[in-house]
Amino acid sequence: MRSAKLLVLLGICAVASACAHVEPWERGLLARPDMAWEVDDLAASQENHTYFSKEAAMPGGGAGGGGCGCN
Amino acid sequence: MTTRWLRSLLPLAFAMAATAAVAVDEGDRAPDFQARSVAGDAEVALHSMRGKVVLVDFWASWCAPCKAAMPEFEKISKEFPAAQFAVIGVNVDTKIEDARRALEKRPVSYLNASDPTGKLPKRFGLETMPTTYLIDQTGVVRVVHKGFRNGDMDKLREQVKKLLDQKKKS
Repeated sequence: MRSAKLLVLLGICAVASACAHVEPWERGLLARPDMAWEVDDLAASQENHTYFSKEAAMPGGGAGGGGCGCN
Repeated sequence: MTTRWLRSLLPLAFAMAATAAVAVDEGDRAPDFQARSVAGDAEVALHSMRGKVVLVDFWASWCAPCKAAMPEFEKISKEFPAAQFAVIGVNVDTKIEDARRALEKRPVSYLNASDPTGKLPKRFGLETMPTTYLIDQTGVVRVVHKGFRNGDMDKLREQVKKLLDQKKKS
């Protein structure tokens, strides 16, 4: 019983440590090119266009803006 | 049994709560700060501005509305006498070169402090970028303005005028 609780506690700690809160002033990190879903801008643009044409909806890969979440 | 179980989770709860910063609000005293300028040639200190109305603007090179606001702050910095009003920019880029490049594209004459470690926005409890604080002559925050859109400057200008007029009357 005790070991099960310890396991749950360790699980909570492990999950919590994997979640990092990105502060508003740190959002530049999210705007870095290496944080993009698709590294190749042209390929991403073509793929998004195809998706939009076929599905009449924008994919959820990203949105415009500098990463500050203020646009 | 349940109490003991919950008690074991308390340290975790405290650790998580300790990371949450308290946001500086209207009516609070502005946290004092001193930081090196982006150009690296001056010290920018809020306490040295005591007696003036000060507009403190937190910005970053990756933040589009921040950069859109800068020419407006440049304009307002020249509209009022320097003895009564000052604008201080606080750049939060982790690489100072990014801030310098942004300032080369949008040169401004007001002071810009550099805070690559993010200590200052944390002390102010910044909730969004950009955020502008209008601080009165006694160091009390009078306006906390989050974000920047067309027309926002007119509201801030009115607030600056109001604070300067209050000082004249007293």
